[in-house]
Amino acid sequence: MIGACALGVAGCAGRLPQPALLSVDELTEVPFFPQTEYDCGPAALATILSAAGAAVTPAELIDAVYIEGLKGSLQAELLAATRRYDRLPIPVPTDPQSLLAEVASGRPVLVLQNLALERVPAWHYAVVVGFDASAERVVLRSGQERRRLERTRRFLRSWRLADHWGFVAARPGEIPTTATPDGYMRALLDAERVLADASTAAAYEAALARWPNDALVLFLTGTRKHAAGDLSAAAGLYRRALASEPSHAAARNNLANVLFEQGCLTEALREARAALRSVPPDGDFHAAIADTVRQIESSPASAAEPAACAPG
Amino acid sequence: MSRRKLARFTCIALCAVPLASMQTLARAEVIGAEQFMSVTDRRATVDRIDAVLAQSEVTKELERLGVDPDQTSARIAALSDQELQLLAHDLEELPAGGLLATIGVVFIVLLILELVGVIDIFKKS
Repeated sequence: MIGACALGVAGCAGRLPQPALLSVDELTEVPFFPQTEYDCGPAALATILSAAGAAVTPAELIDAVYIEGLKGSLQAELLAATRRYDRLPIPVPTDPQSLLAEVASGRPVLVLQNLALERVPAWHYAVVVGFDASAERVVLRSGQERRRLERTRRFLRSWRLADHWGFVAARPGEIPTTATPDGYMRALLDAERVLADASTAAAYEAALARWPNDALVLFLTGTRKHAAGDLSAAAGLYRRALASEPSHAAARNNLANVLFEQGCLTEALREARAALRSVPPDGDFHAAIADTVRQIESSPASAAEPAACAPG
Repeated sequence: MSRRKLARFTCIALCAVPLASMQTLARAEVIGAEQFMSVTDRRATVDRIDAVLAQSEVTKELERLGVDPDQTSARIAALSDQELQLLAHDLEELPAGGLLATIGVVFIVLLILELVGVIDIFKKS
């Protein structure tokens, strides 16, 4: 809503910007690290990491992202280095509105720009920190300019030639405005090997709080509790995932496994068989679910199941 | 480059079948997060084997391009499997942002290209 006008997208000309947004149109507190030679990657990354509370300088980041032989830095390595500073790199959707929504919510966005041509590219990283709707300018930390005002049209062209690539660095426990459950959980799975344990835990909790009924978030958080041996928490999360998405065969299969581990054979078998019925023989996870059924069936039935097993 | 790629793909082709079937036999019945996401992505088991090979490929490439060998393992450890594969396939063709944005230089280059008729950037498209 705001972005369309602020960026002068066709059809918006002549409309007044929403007054409420003018107050948050520039993140003036975002630090600036002037680029020295070919190190716009380290400089831009230091900018967003510092803005997200990490103590870092471009000099340190040269060792993490710069490649002398390319005189530059790769996108994937910027994401990887963000993880090493215990922040989650979250891609920003490819529309200008999302870019501005992140800035308006307080997160500077690191973007890739192609400043030349599609066939003769000149790749550059910069950080979007604001926009000036009335002058049709985007405000960037870029190169050696603390406050570069770039014509919106020109900026959008350079960003489009770089496939609209950009990301924010989120503190663990904070979820960017434009993040989707799928995008956020993928980013978290990619990062959790590298993040501090407490940060990973905070990120999962934040996702649950933000999307309490999302089957993917519930399922993945369930697998995390399950792997950690917290069976009752895992069972609760799998049940919630199933409440949101009753056909979630993987969640039902895993719930059957938890019940089995808890000694609740009757209910485990019922859930496992229901999971198996819900997938076609050539469907995803069919073999794994069939294994679950077999294991439970071949387990010797105990005389009495724990009292907690009574289905509730 | 292409010979190396060919060698790698040959290895993947030869390794993938036995490894994939091993994985089937050893599959735990609990469906883990990675497994779930891989299947929903329609990524094959081969991809995960590829990632292991990609790791050594990317290490070699980075070191050839001047990255300090003391840094490569930490850098590679922070990449996701998908990112590793991307780097293993096209490292040198990927955008490597590095330009010092002295707009003057870019402008002059564009102006020259415009004048010699290679592009027409200054017209509205």
